[in-house]
Amino acid sequence: MRHRSLVFVLTVLASVLALAQVPKVGGELIIAFGTDPESLDPNKITSAPAGMVLTHVAETLLTMTEELEVAPLLAESWEFSEDNLTLILHLRKGVKFHDGTPFNAEAVKVNLERFRKATYAFLLFPRVQTIEAVDEYTVRLNLDKPFAPIIAHLTHNFVAIVSPKQIAELPEGQEIMAPVGTGPFKFDKWVRGEYVRLVRNDDYWGSKPYVDSVVFKVVPSDATRLVLLETGQVHAVMRVPPLDAPRVAATPGLEVVRVPGVRTIYIAFNYQRAPWTDVRVRQALNYAVDKEAIVKEILGGAGGVSDAPIMPLIFGHTGQNPYPYDPEKARKLLDEAGIPRGFKCTLYHPTGRYMMDAAIAEAVQAYLREVGIEAELITMEWAAYLAFLRKPVQEATFDMFMLGWGCVTLDADYGLFPLFHTSEWAPKGSNRSFYSNPVVDALLEQGRVTPDPEARKAIYAEAIKVLWEDAGWLFLHYEMQINAQSTKVKGLIHHPREYILAHRAWLE
Amino acid sequence: MLSYLVRRLLVAIPTLLGVTFIVFSIVRVLPGDPAQAMAGVHATQEYIERVRKELGLDLPVHIQFARFLGGLFQGDLGRSIRTGLPVAQEVWTRFVPTLELTSVSLFLTLLFGILVGIISATRPYSVFDHVSMFFSLVGLSMPVFWLGLMLMLLFSVRLGWLPAAGRGGLAHLILPSVTLAASSIALVARFTRSTLLEVLRQEYIVTARAKGARESRAVFIHALRNALIPIVTIVGLRFGALLSGAVLTETVFAWPGVGRLVVDSVSARDYPVIQGTVLMIAVCFVFINLVVDLLYGAINPRIRYE
Repeated sequence: MRHRSLVFVLTVLASVLALAQVPKVGGELIIAFGTDPESLDPNKITSAPAGMVLTHVAETLLTMTEELEVAPLLAESWEFSEDNLTLILHLRKGVKFHDGTPFNAEAVKVNLERFRKATYAFLLFPRVQTIEAVDEYTVRLNLDKPFAPIIAHLTHNFVAIVSPKQIAELPEGQEIMAPVGTGPFKFDKWVRGEYVRLVRNDDYWGSKPYVDSVVFKVVPSDATRLVLLETGQVHAVMRVPPLDAPRVAATPGLEVVRVPGVRTIYIAFNYQRAPWTDVRVRQALNYAVDKEAIVKEILGGAGGVSDAPIMPLIFGHTGQNPYPYDPEKARKLLDEAGIPRGFKCTLYHPTGRYMMDAAIAEAVQAYLREVGIEAELITMEWAAYLAFLRKPVQEATFDMFMLGWGCVTLDADYGLFPLFHTSEWAPKGSNRSFYSNPVVDALLEQGRVTPDPEARKAIYAEAIKVLWEDAGWLFLHYEMQINAQSTKVKGLIHHPREYILAHRAWLE
Repeated sequence: MLSYLVRRLLVAIPTLLGVTFIVFSIVRVLPGDPAQAMAGVHATQEYIERVRKELGLDLPVHIQFARFLGGLFQGDLGRSIRTGLPVAQEVWTRFVPTLELTSVSLFLTLLFGILVGIISATRPYSVFDHVSMFFSLVGLSMPVFWLGLMLMLLFSVRLGWLPAAGRGGLAHLILPSVTLAASSIALVARFTRSTLLEVLRQEYIVTARAKGARESRAVFIHALRNALIPIVTIVGLRFGALLSGAVLTETVFAWPGVGRLVVDSVSARDYPVIQGTVLMIAVCFVFINLVVDLLYGAINPRIRYE
């Protein structure tokens, strides 16, 4: 009897192994993440966790692949008019929303009109004047000025398309709680603070998902997420602490997945205040800090040394030579600039916001001490920090501050314009260091209105080069996200937007 | 008795108003503002101003307070800044899991705390006494998140007996409630022991024993009843502490409770939710205090409510 069951088990095992690469249909996939979505209304969401859940349910017109290239989704193709003032989108045919409403140009118009009233509209749609449904499957966006980044902006979840019926039936002032989209999964249930559950959309227009359902479980503690993964209660987790990654990787049945993130971490100078007005001082600080060591030792390899103000996968990125770690050169430059040894300044930084942020600030402090600069570290709680850094130039009291910028549109415009253009000085925009350089301003403006992708790339390459030589920041690194998953799950997509996507995943 | 109850409930109103006012002021004195926290690092001034206006935070503070109070008297706590949901709904959905966790912890506290305390007190300086008092010291000094993780490692990772985290059936309640109760059990055990020891030395216990009462009667009927008043006081206080102090346990065990809601709301400067939750907890405190006071009378009939 025992033998027979053993034979049976072995036979099953063998056939399972033989079938290993054939996706299996069924099962519930469970993914643990740290933060509950604040909303599931495309027009209200602000965070990556919310975006991740929504991506499965409501699709956008265009999408961004894992390699961060724009690809068709609900729009099959698109083109600009001759004068670059009209974007024409050709929509996919035969698509239905989860409630059976057909997807067409009118549905797109209703969604985009709704979005234009939302608070975020000006961020992504600053130049859109009118939206026209030309025929059943063609939409035209009319702009008042050419705005090339709009292609990338249309991939953002803010403009995910939901059923026009749902929008029409939504009471005034209420937000969408159970989105009805066209995506591969349908919304099932959301228990706030606990989980969101989605089920397979059997009428999906594209390749149908393999799993029956997917659950996004909210588990705030990093350690607990790992325990859940190790005990098999979840299949994948996000945000593994860098120092735990090697241990997880060594655990049988688990694997660690590293994905480049789109967030750049930097230290900015108070550009309008001596001695940071002197390019030699800014360069000296770039030479003084060993970025390689920070990424390797403090981040445990969960990042890359910046070679531009934006990370390599972003459209418009051209890498420069990182400033090598050279304290000798730093001291020389500081001497030339007349900075006395023991020069005192302040470095503000957040804690717990970015990966190892406080530890990195301490490391920078130690490196600066090596070249004779005494940086006083001032730690602030996040909300207070944000308020502190949004002051007009005459009230700004910092010398340096550490911050991260996620280039969420994945286009250089958003990674550079708000941070370096003179018109974006705080408190109006996000140029909190009051950087100002006419050459950079001109290039960034040009990048916005040039539709040809190759020409744009060349413009951003030039802008990045100028910023780099001008040592616009103390360039640090871009973050990698570390996720982990069970080897029983195949086909999960770990996306640079800090998403785990279940579209093609299956459980062994 | 009834007039006492009514009086107590009337007295609660100014207390709660005071709490409301203090919380309202404190959140607004904190550096950082909700419009910016919500808008995030990417926001422009224009956007922040729009958010501020939408949230009604551009109004003068006294008008905001008047509006808040006005809403309060109509049972409306406002809407969450972060999620846009009515605060009452938000707080209540998170309050239920916390209440669940806290009640089970309280039950464990009463059961084990008092039991261990009684055994230790009746056999002072015995092996049981020494061992249990040692463990109660450990229980009191152990950080909650550490204890939680260790229990999780032992019972779900190593032994696989219990689910590690999340809310579900009864099995899901065991680890978090034990974690949350640990320090309370320890405290109540020590407290029961010392109070009971004190009482057991009283002359009326000697009398009881002398007149031939069985030891169990002397302990449970004569001594415990008299020791119970300070114990009930401390348990009442602990219940409040459990209720408001569950945040670490909730974080470790991914328990969707009110503690986590408060922490998230403070980071987001979600004023209405902070106000709503604190008010809710204050109501609970007032209620628990009242129950404790009424229990005094039940335990000791000499206490009268007038």
